[in-house]
Amino acid sequence: MNAPFYKFGLFGDEASFIIAFFIGIGFGFFLERAGFGSARKLAAQFYLRDLSVLKVMFTAIITAMTGLYVFSRLGMVDLSLVYLVPTFLIPQIVGGLLLGVGFVIGGYCPGTSCVSAATGRIDGMVYIFGMIAGLLGFGEVYPRIVGFAHSTSMGQITLPKLFDLPYGLLVFAAVLMALGAFAAGEWAEKKFGGKQPDPEGSIIGGSRRLTPVRALALSLAVIGLCAAFAGDPYRGHHATIATRDLEMRVGQGADLIEPVQLADWIIQDRNDFRLVDLRSQKDYIAWHIPTAENFPLASLTPDFAAHNEKIILYTNDGSEAAKAWFLLEAQGFRSTYVLDGGLRNWQDSVLFPRKSPGTSGTAFERQVQVAKFFGGAPQANTEASAAATPALPRLALPSLPAAPPTGTSTAPPRKKKEGC
Amino acid sequence: MNSEPHTPRPYWNSYWAGFGLGLVLLASFVIMGRGLGASGAFTTAVATAVHQVAPAHAENNPFYSEYLGDGTRSPLKDWLVFEVLGVFVGGFLSGVLAHRLKLTVEQGPRSTTPRRLAFAFVGGGLMGIGAKIALGCTSGQALTGGALLNVGSWAFMWCVFGGAYAMAYFVRKQWI
Repeated sequence: MNAPFYKFGLFGDEASFIIAFFIGIGFGFFLERAGFGSARKLAAQFYLRDLSVLKVMFTAIITAMTGLYVFSRLGMVDLSLVYLVPTFLIPQIVGGLLLGVGFVIGGYCPGTSCVSAATGRIDGMVYIFGMIAGLLGFGEVYPRIVGFAHSTSMGQITLPKLFDLPYGLLVFAAVLMALGAFAAGEWAEKKFGGKQPDPEGSIIGGSRRLTPVRALALSLAVIGLCAAFAGDPYRGHHATIATRDLEMRVGQGADLIEPVQLADWIIQDRNDFRLVDLRSQKDYIAWHIPTAENFPLASLTPDFAAHNEKIILYTNDGSEAAKAWFLLEAQGFRSTYVLDGGLRNWQDSVLFPRKSPGTSGTAFERQVQVAKFFGGAPQANTEASAAATPALPRLALPSLPAAPPTGTSTAPPRKKKEGC
Repeated sequence: MNSEPHTPRPYWNSYWAGFGLGLVLLASFVIMGRGLGASGAFTTAVATAVHQVAPAHAENNPFYSEYLGDGTRSPLKDWLVFEVLGVFVGGFLSGVLAHRLKLTVEQGPRSTTPRRLAFAFVGGGLMGIGAKIALGCTSGQALTGGALLNVGSWAFMWCVFGGAYAMAYFVRKQWI
């Protein structure tokens, strides 16, 4: 079995929408079954009277987590192909706090509001309008806070990677934490909500019998314990190539990144991609694009980066990078790009831009700003200077300008956002 | 809807509902290589609407443009949009089967309907903003990222609980 099926090309985009619809039905069904169409039931979580939110959420998390671990460890799922939202620590903390405040005021979260609206709750429908208004407001101010939104970037990182601990050990820790939280939650419900634990449906209350709920908890704990000793779930060296897919991407030029776009990303301090300099170490030390890492072609092993990371390759021109691109695609990397025209093009279009007749004054002014950011300078538009290639600027990344120029890249975004 | 003669059935036990939800999430990982989401679909809808009204404005805005795709097809042909349509249908089906469809406003005994609806609107607005700053909501971040042991998702999740508990006292009249 080669999963995730979609990433291995078992079906296309159109089929994925049908699957999305059915997965959504399952999602909505269980949310409603849990009682999450009711704001009162959800809000009771925050007055410690009914801890269903905690129980449902953590049961779902540890079920999916242990299941995914088992499938990956048995080699059925390539975990590195499962999309991971990049971590931007401070924005995610601030966003989380805001979401929490909004949760207890509004009574829903985005997913549960859909279920509540679908079952006739007027407050759920109003909530959705409020959310739309919030998104619209956010969209309008986004250009001004883009710097904050991309701050404290840590890339795609999991807890095992952060703490340098075995993946399975953290699976076990998460299961134990969840079971502990369930016990504490049931205790709180009894104390603050005056709820007598239902003997069939609780973990701590009632008889000592092994009820189905306890059997579920016990099974998850046992899988977690095994995981703690069972090793890394990430798949080793394995390669499949969807040749048709590659043809399409190359044919559409979807494998290329324009230097101007890359420059924008670097200025924005985005960390959701890795820039790889494929030249020799000597060339790399002499000069490289800021933030680039040096991996000569031979060192591109399948585990040099996570397979779902966005990787941008460059050399002096395009040809060596194209080889590396193919190699990585064959190794199962799924979003690899080549810097169009390599370092030469970087010099011409980012470091030492020339004003072409078609460029407006403001657009060129911005090109100049970008060039200065990278330590370059615009070139006079004469034939004589075109012949002499200016020397490369020094290696050090120039310090950030007070207001980095952002958001004026003219190239359309190539890939739609995948996350929630 | 109100003429439903049956009494609503009780909700499922939380652990079994959570287990079912976990299996759906696991299926999504295995079939699609991605988790669940909710707020992203609404963002796509908002971006598409803005694009309809003011195309240049939407294309020049880095937030909207990220949700508009490459222009080769409608941005609404998006995985999360179909998934969220499914959430509405799934919620409706479950509600029908358990006799829980009811046109009503969910609020505590001391709350009034106008205030409750105003709070729902404000809360929804805050969630919309928060979800975009955090790159996901309770579905896309807490649930999905939680199961993947994602660093940002776990930080996010504790902050959601933290923010909600900190605020709970001030809006208690709405609920209890």
